[in-house]
Amino acid sequence: MAYASGQLPTTDVDHTYTTTGLNHRKLLMWTFLSSDCLFFGALIATYMVYRGQSLVGPYPIDIIDIPLTTISTFVLLCSSFAMVQALAATNRNDQRGIQLWLLATILMGATFIGFQIYEFNAFRMEGLKIDTNLFGTTFFTLTGFHGAHVTLGLVWLTILLIMGRKGKLGPAQSLDVEIAGLYWHFVDIVWIVIFTLLYLIGGFDAGPTAGLLIEPSLLSLPT
Amino acid sequence: MLLSPPDRADSPAQVSFRRFPMNNILKSTKQWFQGKHLLALGILALSLVLVACDANAKQSTFGTAGPVAEKQLLLFNVLMWVMVAVFVLVEGALLYAAIRFRRRPGQPLPKQTHGNTVLELTWTIIPTILILGLGIWSVTTLFELDKPPASAAGNTLDVTVTGHQWWFEFEYPNADGNGTVITTANELRVPVGRAVEVLLQSDDVIHSFWIPKLAGKVDMVPTRNNRLWFLADETGTFYGQCAEFCGTAHAQMKFLVQVLTQEEYDAWVAGFGQTPQLSAAAQAGQQVFNGAGGCVVCHTVNGSDNPAIVAGRMQGFLNTEVGIAPGPNMTDLATRQTFAAGLIDLNRENLRVWLTNPEDIKPGNHMASRATIYQTADGRTSLTQTQVSALIEYLLSLK
Amino acid sequence: MATATNVMARPASASGLWSWITTVDHKRIGILYGVTAFLFFLLAGIEAGVIRMQLAVPDNTLVSPDVFNQMFTMHATAMIFMAIMPMSSAFFNFIIPLAIGARDVAFPRLNAFSYWTFLFGALLIHFSFVVQQVPDAGWFSYANLSEKPFSSGQGIDFWALGLQVLGVASLAAAFNFVVTIINMRAPGMSLMRMPLFVWMTLVTSILLVLAFPVITVGLIELTMDRAFGTSFFNTAGGGDPILWQHLFWIFGHPEVYILILPPMGIVSEIIPTFSKKPLFGYPVMVFSGIVIGIMGWAVWSHHMFTVGLGPVANSVFTITTMLIAVPTGVKIFNWIGTMWGGSIEFKTPMLFAIGFVALFIVGGLSGVSHAVSPSDAQQQDTYYIVAHIHYVLFGGSIFGLFAGIYYWFPKITGRLMHEGLGKLNFWLMFVGMNITFFPMHFLGLNGMPRRIYTYSSDFGWDWLNLVASAGYFVLFAGIVAFLVNFFITVKNGKLAGHDPWDAPGLEWTIASPPPVYNFAKVPQVVGLDHYWLVKRRAAAEGHPITEAEAYVDPETIHMPSPSYWPIVTAFGVLVLAAGFLIEFPWPYIKFPVPIIGGIISFIGVLGWSFEPAAPEAHHGSEDHH
Repeated sequence: MAYASGQLPTTDVDHTYTTTGLNHRKLLMWTFLSSDCLFFGALIATYMVYRGQSLVGPYPIDIIDIPLTTISTFVLLCSSFAMVQALAATNRNDQRGIQLWLLATILMGATFIGFQIYEFNAFRMEGLKIDTNLFGTTFFTLTGFHGAHVTLGLVWLTILLIMGRKGKLGPAQSLDVEIAGLYWHFVDIVWIVIFTLLYLIGGFDAGPTAGLLIEPSLLSLPT
Repeated sequence: MLLSPPDRADSPAQVSFRRFPMNNILKSTKQWFQGKHLLALGILALSLVLVACDANAKQSTFGTAGPVAEKQLLLFNVLMWVMVAVFVLVEGALLYAAIRFRRRPGQPLPKQTHGNTVLELTWTIIPTILILGLGIWSVTTLFELDKPPASAAGNTLDVTVTGHQWWFEFEYPNADGNGTVITTANELRVPVGRAVEVLLQSDDVIHSFWIPKLAGKVDMVPTRNNRLWFLADETGTFYGQCAEFCGTAHAQMKFLVQVLTQEEYDAWVAGFGQTPQLSAAAQAGQQVFNGAGGCVVCHTVNGSDNPAIVAGRMQGFLNTEVGIAPGPNMTDLATRQTFAAGLIDLNRENLRVWLTNPEDIKPGNHMASRATIYQTADGRTSLTQTQVSALIEYLLSLK
Repeated sequence: MATATNVMARPASASGLWSWITTVDHKRIGILYGVTAFLFFLLAGIEAGVIRMQLAVPDNTLVSPDVFNQMFTMHATAMIFMAIMPMSSAFFNFIIPLAIGARDVAFPRLNAFSYWTFLFGALLIHFSFVVQQVPDAGWFSYANLSEKPFSSGQGIDFWALGLQVLGVASLAAAFNFVVTIINMRAPGMSLMRMPLFVWMTLVTSILLVLAFPVITVGLIELTMDRAFGTSFFNTAGGGDPILWQHLFWIFGHPEVYILILPPMGIVSEIIPTFSKKPLFGYPVMVFSGIVIGIMGWAVWSHHMFTVGLGPVANSVFTITTMLIAVPTGVKIFNWIGTMWGGSIEFKTPMLFAIGFVALFIVGGLSGVSHAVSPSDAQQQDTYYIVAHIHYVLFGGSIFGLFAGIYYWFPKITGRLMHEGLGKLNFWLMFVGMNITFFPMHFLGLNGMPRRIYTYSSDFGWDWLNLVASAGYFVLFAGIVAFLVNFFITVKNGKLAGHDPWDAPGLEWTIASPPPVYNFAKVPQVVGLDHYWLVKRRAAAEGHPITEAEAYVDPETIHMPSPSYWPIVTAFGVLVLAAGFLIEFPWPYIKFPVPIIGGIISFIGVLGWSFEPAAPEAHHGSEDHH
């Protein structure tokens, strides 16, 4: 390393320099998402531990409507595709495309939330509330927090859409769209896990009186 | 203030404060610690350690009286000596390095070593081997202590222990081999030399069942059936205590284990729940117990826990969110050494203090907070002293 | 929009209270963290005093059992979440950017947000004293004791919601330092040239990122049980209180390493400096830190050996826990290896660092004895464990942090702390610590459970308790010596110069206290122990370096502007959490206040995102909106 004797070695890097070449905010989003994995992980673990442990009904098999949620799941997954298109439009400065695809993403996300509100309400009518039994407790908590994540994403995308309407989105703001997209895709992926566990697998669970489909609590290891 | 640029070249005169004579103190301390004094100090420390490990203390884990606690202690003792050896070696090396390599005036820059692979591998591998060795032994002991030995099969005594805030309930589903069920509280009676299998339950929060001289603790968790076993090699009284924080009176949730000879044990089982001979005073007390005092709502005395009596009295009681808490079974109270969950010796004076105002002795207890007779301005019982005296007579005749 | 722009104009004052409230300078935030944390350290220390005075003699009636339970709950909660963690944070904030050659952290405003959230969370928990609803179920608040039927007051709510807010603060800081350390190192500082303190901060931050969401979920579930009548841990509804223990300790064990790794990093800076020798086995020190961080996830159930998980689970956790002693032991050997053959100067930071190693050995060894689950069956929940945690957390973390204070005080203030008082401080703390905590080993082995507010004298615990209580005063005197030293030297101490210890780190190349921009020119890092290499080469070539990097006019270097949005957003978070303490008898919305908090936070985040762009070109930091 060449530097003048008796001097402190210095360098001239411009303000965009980062050690890894990655943008700070992108790295921040990845770090946040890794943290959020553990957040959902803990909630999902709680659900799994309490599968089939409800003392009273309604049980999942009584009220889970898989076909209905399959539709909303499909819509949410499609929204990820729209999000990708929105980013691509941003990168090629396609103003119409930006607005169109962002709007599509938002509409599909909102549809998902609409389905969720319908589902929550239907469950409530059928007698399942958050304090009814362990299924209600874990189901509403887990899907509720996921819904909150989606809603937050919708707010974020709406702000981006407003910026887009004002023509303030373009290749220079590609990162802003990309980071929102990272978040959106993450929320979608989490839903795939939730849908699989809560609906496709757990949707047939009954209560202890109706014949257990699974063993007692995962926490009670054989002794 | 903190971040103001420092006084640079033109710094004002520094404020000097008087030198604290730390160096002199250190020097004289250092001199004092050399030679004889150091040896004396070492001996003093060692003897303090020996005094401090008090096998005679009531709950000492050193004074074991059964195989479970013994095996646990053996493991600890071996670990402790390994620990002492490691301690001496490592702290010795640290102390040696600190003294031997202290800076001397005019010393040049020491040799700049960055590490030594062989050395570092050595002090990674040796502890790993040591630890795996100890670990394998630990796991063996763990499985060994999990269940009573096969030799004890068919000859074990079953006891169900239920934790309550803040006392222990003991139920013998089969106290004598003929299906006799006994429910008692706070004093566990077991025959010497016989493995006792304990089923641990809780009525409210998590407690922990621990008799240091007989066996390490296992928690009593609501919704869960934990098990523990122990065997006492000698007769006598052993002391136990709740070891999981369980609320206000956690410190005062204790119990006794009376290890009896088989004959004594059999006699206790046979005599349990026999209708006691009651003096006139005691009969008056019984009426207070079942009537004005309302004791019977929570406390059972075999034969007097008539559902009608209980239901009739129920109304006068405060029902909190937890509901009415069951109280200790009183059937053999007078045979016990202590009461209020192993807290105080059972005698007339103590009973009077307790019955007059239990809050004085055991703050937070549910009897003081729920029984109607204690819902007074100062917490003292609404019973008259005559009624209390009668109650004491009755309680002391429950054998 | 005119008014909006006006509102959004960034605050400009550079001094006074307002400048501290709106500051985004990592050095100021570090000082705020340090001072606040120290105040909570003193408060928690006084709570410890109440505990020790109550237990000094048998059958004592100094405090009621309820007050005693509040004291040990708040003592541990405050020490862990409001003293040790933020004191480490203070060093992360002040030192990390300097040690990696950066002008600030990656997200200066997020950093300010983290401090204010921390302060608000700590105040929220302590507000419980004002309304007399103090948490009293222990720092672990085991369910179902912490459920409504058994803890009907609001103490647990204060505890859970306050911790939730503190968690937000910790997460925000952790995200920031992960990004800062990965992304803002000066050119030339490869990962394996990072000072060990930076490494340990990175590992700690990653642990925080992954561990805190788990306790967040646990606290959400507990709060929901208490506020909405769910049954996560409520046995009446089928809930299992053991789930709480799993969630708590899956967080709680990494948390232990969150508390000890930063002080280990600090000590790894100090020992080489005062031994005049590079850290022995640097790569192994790095990897052992990482291994501890990873293995810390596989040992949580050793806190639950007596819960009844069965011999299989207990065996697994016995072995994993024992194995974690290996990387820890390696660290200790390497510290001794660093001192070996060195030229050791016993300045106060070095004394504290050696004290750290000496005491941590004791805590580590006793740790092995309760890693063994059969032996732990006798030790779990006794004073033996109390002794152990105080040897690792007081002898370890606190001694390490004090070493850090003495070491970096001249960098932070420009002045040296007084050596004589420093040594007095050290010896009083060292002796006091051993008098207080060593007897607790014996108390535990003699059968004294933890968390009991009284004991009777026939159990043979009297004199050991008295000794432990007496030791408290020696410790206390040590802290007083520190405070005296601090207040004398912070204004009148000897001027330190930029490099009083002839240290190897980048932070010593610049003036003390550092100028607002830290480095006038971004340094080029030439190797591990950068400044030593530079100074020694310069000396060998006959041009010794005696000056700090030359001071330049700070106006010529653009730094992120102050902002009020962080404190606004943090306040929103406070209202959001504290709102759950106020229940309304309304049919659908029982808790309207959190909604207000959410709105405040949202406005804060919006303001934050759309804050006007800084007027000039910017450097280094991402804070460019």
